[in-house]
Amino acid sequence: MKNNILDIKAVGKSFPGVRALQNLSMAVAPGEVVAFVGENGAGKSTLLKILSGDYQLDQGQILLDGVEVSHASPLAARNAGFRLVRQEPEIVPDISVAENIFVGEYPSRSFGRVDFTAMRAEVTDLLQRYGFADLIDISATGRSLSPAQMHVVEIMRALKPGVKVVAFDEPTSSLTSDEVARLFDLIRKLKSEGLGIIYVSHRLQEVMAISDRVIVLKDGQQTSNLVTADTTEDEIVRLMVGRELIHGFKREETTRDEVVLEVEGLSSRWHRDISFKIRAGEILGFAGLVGAGRTELAKVIFGEYRRNGGEVKLLGRDSDIRSPAEAIRANIGFAPENRKAEGLILVRSVIENAAMAVYSRLARWGVLRTGQMVEAVGPVIRQLEVKTPSLSQEVGKLSGGNQQKVVLARWLAAGPRLLILDEPTRAVDVGAKAEIYRLIDRLAKDGMAIMLVSSEMPELMALSDRIVVMQDGRLSPPIEKQDATEEAIVALALGAGVAA
Amino acid sequence: MTTRSPESALSRLTRFVGAENLSLIIALILLVLAVSSQTEFLFSSRNLFNIGQNMAVVGLIAVGMTLVIVSNGLDISVGSIAGCASVVCALIVTGSGSVPGGLAGGIAIGAVLGLVNALIINYLRVNAVVATLATMSAFRGIAFLIAPDGRPVGVLDPTFALLGSGRFLQTGSFPGIPIAFTILVGVAIVGSFVMSSTVFGRSIYSMGGNPAAARLAGINLNRMRLWIYAISGALSGLAGVIVTARTSSGQPASGTQGLELEAITAVFLGGALLAGGKGTIVGSMLAVLLLAVLSNGMNLLGIPTFYQLVAKGLLLVLAVAIGQWRMATAEKRQAKLAASGGA
Repeated sequence: MKNNILDIKAVGKSFPGVRALQNLSMAVAPGEVVAFVGENGAGKSTLLKILSGDYQLDQGQILLDGVEVSHASPLAARNAGFRLVRQEPEIVPDISVAENIFVGEYPSRSFGRVDFTAMRAEVTDLLQRYGFADLIDISATGRSLSPAQMHVVEIMRALKPGVKVVAFDEPTSSLTSDEVARLFDLIRKLKSEGLGIIYVSHRLQEVMAISDRVIVLKDGQQTSNLVTADTTEDEIVRLMVGRELIHGFKREETTRDEVVLEVEGLSSRWHRDISFKIRAGEILGFAGLVGAGRTELAKVIFGEYRRNGGEVKLLGRDSDIRSPAEAIRANIGFAPENRKAEGLILVRSVIENAAMAVYSRLARWGVLRTGQMVEAVGPVIRQLEVKTPSLSQEVGKLSGGNQQKVVLARWLAAGPRLLILDEPTRAVDVGAKAEIYRLIDRLAKDGMAIMLVSSEMPELMALSDRIVVMQDGRLSPPIEKQDATEEAIVALALGAGVAA
Repeated sequence: MTTRSPESALSRLTRFVGAENLSLIIALILLVLAVSSQTEFLFSSRNLFNIGQNMAVVGLIAVGMTLVIVSNGLDISVGSIAGCASVVCALIVTGSGSVPGGLAGGIAIGAVLGLVNALIINYLRVNAVVATLATMSAFRGIAFLIAPDGRPVGVLDPTFALLGSGRFLQTGSFPGIPIAFTILVGVAIVGSFVMSSTVFGRSIYSMGGNPAAARLAGINLNRMRLWIYAISGALSGLAGVIVTARTSSGQPASGTQGLELEAITAVFLGGALLAGGKGTIVGSMLAVLLLAVLSNGMNLLGIPTFYQLVAKGLLLVLAVAIGQWRMATAEKRQAKLAASGGA
């Protein structure tokens, strides 16, 4: 038996409320390309971050060429030979390509002077050896590089001496098909040099073309370990999805006739020709990969980002919303995806966070009365069963699920006609999840129109009346709930031509 | 809602006054004990009167600075604004003989200069520290430019002088209560009400705690900043007017230099966080009192000014460090909680 260059043994990692990886074991042999596929949140990034030393694992062991690196720091992991090619490389704008490649590890001469000659020679050598010499000028500044060139810089950083395993994280998202071909040539060359290669991608065609084995991750667990030559794209899609629906959660049809939001031909920096309608009492689910433009669409509609063209009608009337304040006045609510960064004021109290959007409604002559704030917000907080010792508790001291409920409480108190929910159950534990589902259901029943952005398939399938899929800034036609299958949605989101 | 365990008298007191304020009060008591053990002058009514009068100028600026710092901003130009207001007010009083005119003029020029700060921060996207560092220099220059020949402008109006050294309730040995101190108390009460009970005040806490979330909750950050810096400027202007009245002259520099340091120190010492979103007027006022007693005590004990300057600098670092340390321990406790409660 050949010795593996990378051995991952029973690795587990948890975050508060989430098991990101469970009992994951796998190995990479020298000269082998192993692909990781899985939906958003399946655990791919967590694994890469553990390997690169950004996260520390909770259980298990990692051996790199026989040396234990289970608890390595980022620098130690790098020195041991694990190199990650990041999806979005960090490029320093005002230094040269050569310096960017050697940043943090400049070769030095006496008195701490940087040895520019040695550095340039080494970079030239690297670029020639891997066939990128014609693509990039080593004295160009970081600022002047195209996304593809930045990627080359990132790859060269990884291939500096001492490399044993290279992991590519979505390496082709900024590349043209011609550049993809060159990347594949490079990967084949690395194979022939006996390196271990990990290839993480959503693009199944590429996975089929370049990998030797495919490991499918789902909910932090490995579901299968396939030999690429013996499988098909269809089989991989099937293995990626196919979870049980949230047990026992069924919605009744509550859609009414009145159209609350109508978007016609909307375009923006991220979007082209987006059209859809949401009626009162309807939940429209937005599926798609992370980065497809769903969060941005929510923010365009909420007035946080600019719309370049197209029409947005609210309750049949043209609306020209240019700021969140205007959106709130127009009866739109928005619970953002990242509640800590954009949803909550962590150092302030539950009642303040919940009442923020309705301050002006609660005040007379600009003066807020505590009594009225408690009256407006108290019942909502109780109704949502937010577990807090008091209304004056700092929100930062609550658990994740309860924090999310406070965000929802804000919009319940405001009572919007249209509510935009971006990943409403992200990092929320299972119990709180079910409560949040019941709440969303009740809001729809009461006639609210709901735009639900979610990367969790079972959640979308359980809650949505219709589902639209966003891929690279474009929107699919709506799929009725009864016709929606996870396979069809995932295929649309990947932009692959897999039959439903 | 969980049931609350019975509280001790101490923890009830802590909750009523607030932990930050309680530690300020304790520090104040310790300081008073320390100083009065060395000199009996501290409690003399003459000295208490002086402390009250000295507090007024820094206190007024600290009220505005509390708004600024809670909103996650900073205003280093307040001393220079006070200098401009001092000169403008002196020119109006000597020129027209109108005391209300001088008062209004000083406050108005302060508000305008505060607006200039906000405009620079909002529309030129210069961060608050750099913007007000720049205007600190520029406004001081303007103060000298509008003072004829760059010299102090004498004001010999007895009514106007009352603003600086006037008093109520003077009897025999009791020197009375300074009018300037009374103004501060009034402004602080109004400021405290605005911060705790108005949409404007609560929005300051929101934007300071998390600007992105505040924006998405419908708060117009640019408009908020215009008001906050204008108020800070107006109160600095009022402080400048009081300096003018006390010294009987419009002073472009003397009496208003270094006020920014004292006000900023007071606000951080009063419990505001560097990251914004926390802080109260009551806390800031307790800290102003603490600083006034400290500086008075150092004078009574004959500590040379140079040492006092060093002490002031150390105190600002200490005040911010305490806040940062409090944040860090709160975060650690939170992380532990999450780890034990998590999956």
